[in-house]
Amino acid sequence: MTNDRTLTLERQLGATPQAVYDAWTKPELLVQWWGPEGLTTPIHDMDVRPNGAWSTTMVNPDGGKHTCSGVYRVLEPPHRLVFTWAWEQDDGNRGPETQVEISLMANESGTLMRLVQGEFDTAETANQHGFGWNSSFNKLETFVG
Amino acid sequence: MPNNLHAVFGALSDPTRMAIVERLIREGETSAGDLAQPFAMSKPAISRHLRVLEDSGLVAKRINRQFRMFSIQRAAVNEIGDWIEEQRKFWNASFDRLEAVLEQSETKQK
Repeated sequence: MTNDRTLTLERQLGATPQAVYDAWTKPELLVQWWGPEGLTTPIHDMDVRPNGAWSTTMVNPDGGKHTCSGVYRVLEPPHRLVFTWAWEQDDGNRGPETQVEISLMANESGTLMRLVQGEFDTAETANQHGFGWNSSFNKLETFVG
Repeated sequence: MPNNLHAVFGALSDPTRMAIVERLIREGETSAGDLAQPFAMSKPAISRHLRVLEDSGLVAKRINRQFRMFSIQRAAVNEIGDWIEEQRKFWNASFDRLEAVLEQSETKQK
């Protein structure tokens, strides 16, 4: 799944895959790290099962609110987690829907966590035989960058 | 400033349209005829693709005598870049905190 056509991030973590998986899927753990420093996540609703909906609302120190939400697609403890993702826009509509895949690979120093984000989660893209937003993603980054 | 990322991302989810956008970024304003040339596709089919790109705000059309000239709209491309960059920042900042949270709980266990 790792190619240069999506937003891919990796992070080495000093904990077991199970501990990292829990941090993603247990609300009381997730709110401890969700979002940049200074944000809190007072409102959250996570139905952690396939096709279960999740939603989190983060609050800035100055009171600004940001909501993102989606649906869990794949839950394979302790190695894999796939969910859809969209930010709520100022007008209350959901922004572009993307899919996030988290892979957790055990290694000698703990867990290598990989995040891959891309690929529209719409019927429209499903019909496009694999070519999708994935391929566009990185190309545009290089234009912009 | 286009404010419809849905339409922009949707427009780019097709290989023909993506190729057209890439070319316009590389080569600047180009006529519909020239844009159609690399593709084994009917003129109406290319016109439909150009129409989708135009509706999304990614390209603009200008009529120059009998030619339809297309050019890229930087603002729309930048908007996508901004979205990707924001998302990257969100994750990196979150992962910094995740690292700290996991370290704490490891320490507690020991």
